[in-house]
Amino acid sequence: MLSEQTAPTRRLAFVGLAKNTGKTEALAALLRELELEGRRVGVTSVGRDGEEHDVIDPRIAKPRVRLAAGGLVATTDALLRASGAPHVLLEDTGMRTPLGRVLIARLRAAAAIEVAGPSAAADVRAVSDAMLALGAEQVLIDGALDRRAASSPEVADGLVMSTGAILARDIHEVVAQTSDAVELVRLPSVHDGTDAGRRLGALAAAAVAGATSALAGDEGEPVALPPGFVLAGAPEQIARALEENPAARWLIVAGALPEQFLRELLRPVRQRGRELTLVAADPTKVFLSSHSPGWYRRQGIQLRTLARIDLEAITVNPVAPQSHRFDSVRLRALLQDAIRGVPVFDVLHPDYMVARASAPKP
Amino acid sequence: MPDAAARPAGGRALVDLSSVTPYADHLGDGLVQMSFTLPVPYSLAARRAALELAAGMGFQEPEVVHYEQLTEGYTYFVMYGRCVHAVDFAALQDEGFDIEYMSEDEIEHFVQTHVGRRIVVVGASTGSDTHSVGIDAMLNLKGYHGHHGLEGYRCFQTYNLGSQVPNSVLLARAIDVGADAILVSQTVTQQNLHVHNLTELVEMVEAEGRRAQMILACGGPRVTGELAKELGYDAGFSKGTEPQHLATFIVRELAARVAASTIEAAGSTPA
Repeated sequence: MLSEQTAPTRRLAFVGLAKNTGKTEALAALLRELELEGRRVGVTSVGRDGEEHDVIDPRIAKPRVRLAAGGLVATTDALLRASGAPHVLLEDTGMRTPLGRVLIARLRAAAAIEVAGPSAAADVRAVSDAMLALGAEQVLIDGALDRRAASSPEVADGLVMSTGAILARDIHEVVAQTSDAVELVRLPSVHDGTDAGRRLGALAAAAVAGATSALAGDEGEPVALPPGFVLAGAPEQIARALEENPAARWLIVAGALPEQFLRELLRPVRQRGRELTLVAADPTKVFLSSHSPGWYRRQGIQLRTLARIDLEAITVNPVAPQSHRFDSVRLRALLQDAIRGVPVFDVLHPDYMVARASAPKP
Repeated sequence: MPDAAARPAGGRALVDLSSVTPYADHLGDGLVQMSFTLPVPYSLAARRAALELAAGMGFQEPEVVHYEQLTEGYTYFVMYGRCVHAVDFAALQDEGFDIEYMSEDEIEHFVQTHVGRRIVVVGASTGSDTHSVGIDAMLNLKGYHGHHGLEGYRCFQTYNLGSQVPNSVLLARAIDVGADAILVSQTVTQQNLHVHNLTELVEMVEAEGRRAQMILACGGPRVTGELAKELGYDAGFSKGTEPQHLATFIVRELAARVAASTIEAAGSTPA
């Protein structure tokens, strides 16, 4: 059950690996469970939830988001008015979105609502904290499309990841892509209990705080890298930096780590014949689409992060709308086999409903 | 039927904006002209099929006014039909879908008063998209529809990076020139092909810790406010957008951010 799995998490982010992976269904399922348990929740969305039809493909009907009486919501003035839900306005955040200004309201009666909170990660954190301060026991942050920023530890305390048949027509490919995404989310921390790990943690924290990427080794001062080095450094510039710093073991990335940079590193790392560990602030700063972290590790490039994401559950949608479907039980078994230490749910499958019906009432 | 009171003597009939129907010959007639092609051979049976289809769409008194063979096995139709539905335009007006756009002079003046410096705008078509028409229309001097692009304004410093620009390169350049706004153009398809490219830029801006400083706008033939919200942009622009529409949005948004940061710096909280 999602509610058991995520119970202690104050700010819980929902991220889908693509559109139509059932992220909002997972959120709606958790809302139903929390309503039965009588818990007061707050909801926000970095996109828009509860709309009737998909914004990109209008043939796809979307799940409604139903919030219990007393629930808190961050959404725009126009959507709140259009919902017709009886509510008490608690706060005008002043945050602007393409759909209007974001308000925080408390529902006076249960209602289906459209949720469109702020998009920017810092604003998402601010409205989440505001809803917690206004009495929410837990805040659910719904993602949008394949956006991950709201799952950063700077914003949320835990993550529910949604995957599904939409990723590929081959079930094994779906499992492989999901495994890669999980591997990225669970990149090892720099804090490995060793002295080197402690030194790296301190250096990385300083580099991120100072927004300056750096090369560092076991001894001596880190070498600051110029602005734009990681985002769009020229291949020769990258090769030269490694050549000039043969003792460097770590490359600390202060901001975004695009895959192109990793590609440019392959040859210089191979030539110097020594592994290089890249450190990013957290997994949402790492942008991979061609290869997994494991693939780069085999090429001598390790990825680590300063802060970790707590992946609490995976949900699957075995149906790709307007296309194909897999057997839910089989898909979950394959995923569970490939991904250890995190439960996999299909919140719309009868076996999940049965589990919920037989769960002990609090 | 509009009643007599709604028709002032000598003037045009007043429209009931809470219940608007399509207009052809007279108010309230609901007449719709439509055209489509059916993959069937040109024939009387084809004509019959078009009538049935239009009836199925809910049109009353459907009528084929023209049909012809497009190519072997395909027939093209032009039809009329009476639409029985009405829409509440008054409620939509209240929801603020339309914003009042400023003229070029008003924009220049607004920036002088509220921003006090030139606004830096970087634009590109990102990823594999080779279409730069939208970006060119918004940024280049030549502009669009008789209105020149942002390049022609005194208050904007523009950089048009062209097409097929990787997100990381666009962002590096935007940081380098101190961009206040990034404008990207993408052809969004139902197959979702370009959505990832658009979301990735937003996520990279977040990862660089620049989201609060950079206004992000996207444009393309299928981009709506709703899609922009899903993608994480501050605004979305579609067909029919003229450069001063985009400019109005950018200057107002920047002024609002400048005002908010001034209030924060002063140590008080906004009302």
